[in-house]
Formats: sequence, C-alpha cells, structure tokens
Amino acid sequence: MIHFKNVSKVYPTGTKALEDINLDINKGEFVFIVGPSGAGKSTFLKLIMREEAATEGEISVNGYNLIKIKKRKIPYLRRTMGIVFQDFRLIEKISVFDNVAFAMRVIGVSEKSVRKRVEYILGLVGLSEKADRKPSELSGGEQQRVSLARALVNNPELIIADEPTGNIDPELSYEIMELLVEINKRGTTVLIVTHEHNLVNEFGGRIIKINGGKIVGDYIREVEQ
Amino acid sequence: MKFRSSGYLIKEGIKSIWTNRMMSLASIGVLISCLLITGAAVVTSMNASSLISSIGDTNMITVYLDPQISDVDALKLGAKFDLIDNVKSSEFYSKSKAIEDYQEMLGDDIYANMKGENNPLPHAYKVSLEDFSKYEETVKEIKKIDGVYQIGNRSDIARKLTKLNTLVTYIGIAAVIILGLVTLFIISNTVKMTMYSRRFEISIMKSVGATNSFVRIPFLVEGMVIGLISGVISSIVMIALYNPILESVRGIASVVYKASIPISDIWIYIILAFLGSAVLIGALGSFISVSKYLKKEGGEILGW
Repeated sequence: MIHFKNVSKVYPTGTKALEDINLDINKGEFVFIVGPSGAGKSTFLKLIMREEAATEGEISVNGYNLIKIKKRKIPYLRRTMGIVFQDFRLIEKISVFDNVAFAMRVIGVSEKSVRKRVEYILGLVGLSEKADRKPSELSGGEQQRVSLARALVNNPELIIADEPTGNIDPELSYEIMELLVEINKRGTTVLIVTHEHNLVNEFGGRIIKINGGKIVGDYIREVEQ
Repeated sequence: MKFRSSGYLIKEGIKSIWTNRMMSLASIGVLISCLLITGAAVVTSMNASSLISSIGDTNMITVYLDPQISDVDALKLGAKFDLIDNVKSSEFYSKSKAIEDYQEMLGDDIYANMKGENNPLPHAYKVSLEDFSKYEETVKEIKKIDGVYQIGNRSDIARKLTKLNTLVTYIGIAAVIILGLVTLFIISNTVKMTMYSRRFEISIMKSVGATNSFVRIPFLVEGMVIGLISGVISSIVMIALYNPILESVRGIASVVYKASIPISDIWIYIILAFLGSAVLIGALGSFISVSKYLKKEGGEILGW
C-alpha cells in the first residue's frame, strides 16, 4: 500500500532530506519509522501525504501514483489515510464533535450518517462525554484522541501517527498506543513516526530506522504482549 | 464536491462571520467607511455638476431687435428663433416691459419722460438655449436673422461655466478613482489579516482531504455576506444623511440647495451601487486571498 523506489528529496534550499529510499509497506502492517530529529522522518511523511513531491524516484500510496498525480486528485489521496498530527491540528473555535465530523463533511457524507458515525468513534476513543467541549477545554491526551478520532472517522486503510507521544505525558502515550494496536488488529495499516526508542521496544512490530536521510535498518521486533 | 455539501458550506460561511466576529466587524467597518467616502465623493460631484448646469439654465441670452422694427414684425420674429437648433424657447420682451422693469432704477421723473413714444429701448427676446456650451454657434445663427440688432454678450460666462463643469467632472472622476484604489488597498489588507488568522484552519482542511472549492466556498459566502451587510448599512446611512446635509447647506447657500438632486431621483442607484460593489469586493477579496493559501501545502501555509 506504500511503495517507495529509489526516492530522493532535495529541498530548493539544497538540503538533502532523503536519499535513495526503497521500501514497501503492506496492508495490515504495524510499522514504526524511527530516527532522531532531522533524520528525514517529516519529509517522509510529507511525501506520503503529497505535501511535497519527490525529486527522484517512484512513490505510490493507496493506489495513487504520487509522481503522476494531478493536483486536483491530491485531496482524494488524503482521504484514503487518517493522520494524527503531533500538534493535533484541531480547530479551536468548533466543538470536539464538529472537529471529528469535519473530516466526514469534507467528503460530502449526509448529516445523519455523520452524527451516527462521529458518536460511535468518540465512544471508541472514550470522549463521548466531551463531544460539545472546545478543544482548548481538553487535556493534551484528550486532544490527541480527538485527532485520532478524526483520523479514524472515515475508516481509512492507513493511519499515520506523527510523534504520538511527543506532546503528552508517558502514561497517556501508553493509552494512545494501545488504541493504535487495537485499530491495527481490525485490519488497518498503522504507521507510527517517532524518535522514541522506548516506544518501539515496548510495542514491537516492523521497525524502519532512518538516519541522515537513509534507511539504516528495517526489521521486525517481536514483543511478548 | 458533492451537491449535498453546498447547504453545509453556505451555512459554514455565514456561521464563521459570527465565530470570527471581531474580524468581521473590522471588515464591515472598513467597507462601510470606504463605501461612504467614495459614495459621498460621487454624490457631491453629481450635485456640483447639477448646480453648474442650473446656472447655465437661468442665464438665457437677450437678443435686442433693430430699433426701427415695427411691433408686428418684432412679434413675428419669435417663430424664427424657435426654428434654430439649440434654442429651447424664446420669449418676447417688449420695450415697454423693459422700461417698466427699469422704473425703480430710473426714478419716477425720468421714467415719466421715457414712456411710450419716448422709450429709448429696443424690443428684445429672451432666448434660452438647450446647451449653453454651444453658445457661439447659436449666436451666429441668431445674428443671421433680419431685424436682430445686437446680442447681450454672455460668451465669457458660457465658456467659464463649461470649463467649470468639465473641471468638476474630472475632479469627481479622479476622487472616485483614488478613493476606489485606497478602498481596494485597505480591503485587501483587511482580508489578508483575516486569512492570516485562519490559515491554520485552511491547512487542517487540506490535510484531511478537502478539495479547493470546499475550502473556498465558505470564505466566498462569508465575503459576500459581509459585503451585503456593509452595503445595506452604507445605503441606509447615505440616504438618511442626504437630506439633513442638504438642509444645512441651504442655510449657507440656497442656490446650491435649489439646484441639488433630490434623493428620490437617486436612492435606487445608491442602493444598487453600494450593494453591487460591496458584494463584489467582498467576494473578490476572499477569493483572491484564499487562492493564495490554496496554492500552498501543509507547513507552507503556516509559514513553517
């Protein structure tokens, strides 16, 4: 579902962010992309979302060829994935419910279906009680779960979590990881981008290590659950 | 974008006027000020023009007839004046009426000596012209008629009025253009500020897969509604203040008041012009600034 072949990315400033990346991520996998800051993780994410275009190589994501993709098709590519951003990216002025519903309204789902589905998803992440609150009234962990709910609401085949433990305290990060594992068990591909090795050691799965814009390790770590 | 979305998008646009009420209020305030200042410039220039033409109207020319002409022949001449192209109307002004009009100036003694056969004045016609700027040509035509002796020379005034009218029109157009540009500048900056504060929202919309039109429509609706509100308020203020301002001018110069354009003649144009331009400016302002952000991606939108 994600295919990179000889992919390089050089920014206009001359910064070489990624160099000759080759990888395939298949449906149903639970994958960590690990590396220190500045290793190229963010660029990797931007390429998948097609916020940036590769300088060289071939990329396809969820059936879209990202080298040939037309600009107007990019929104449709993004609808095939759910992204939990490190800074959550919630709209402050609207309620938790509307933040989650937003992702469904974008694709033109009827209000009736939106209501049903959002209520279900908020229940799944344990936020039914706070549907009417504004994001700013929630704790960091709760905001992250809203972000996760929004990523899940359209039932995407691929969930990407960018530094899911970066902005919240360790206990809560455990919670969000459990949720991601649960989602993966239902068949959704989960891609976690992180610089924390602890997380990887604890949960295991496929680990892709990036450093200096190159893949320096790609292996599976089994963990006794 | 699916059709189902359009109701939602329009609702979102209207809702966000309230959600971003401080920014909306600022935009409405700026738009109203600009509309009123530009509108006032247009209306003032129109009234100045009207005043000048009205002066032209009251200044008809006096055509003096040959002193030897008989009363009957003098009366017949009126029809000949009326045939000339630029002549609106002509009115016979007999020498006996003329001397009566001078009565007060002359004093009763002299007046008594000048009545009847002793009247030294010639018969005359008061001829009013359609277009005062064609004074010279018309006078030439009148002079060709037999029995015309002399024409009261107004060419100087005619030239000056025509010049003044042109000047006022140019000043009016220049004022409107300059104010229009200032308006566009202020409004584009207001919209830019609004958009800057909402660029985060735009980046979120894009990251969850919103198409460009989905992002754009609520902003467009918002801009148009803000334009509509500003247009309505400006129209009300302009129409409500028009007569009181004219009344206050009346105290200073009644000529100006008399020559002014009545509000009943122009209120509909004020409303149409204000609503039309305000809605257009609102829509265009939003459209252009959103498009600027839509071209960018992710962190670029936020300037990261």
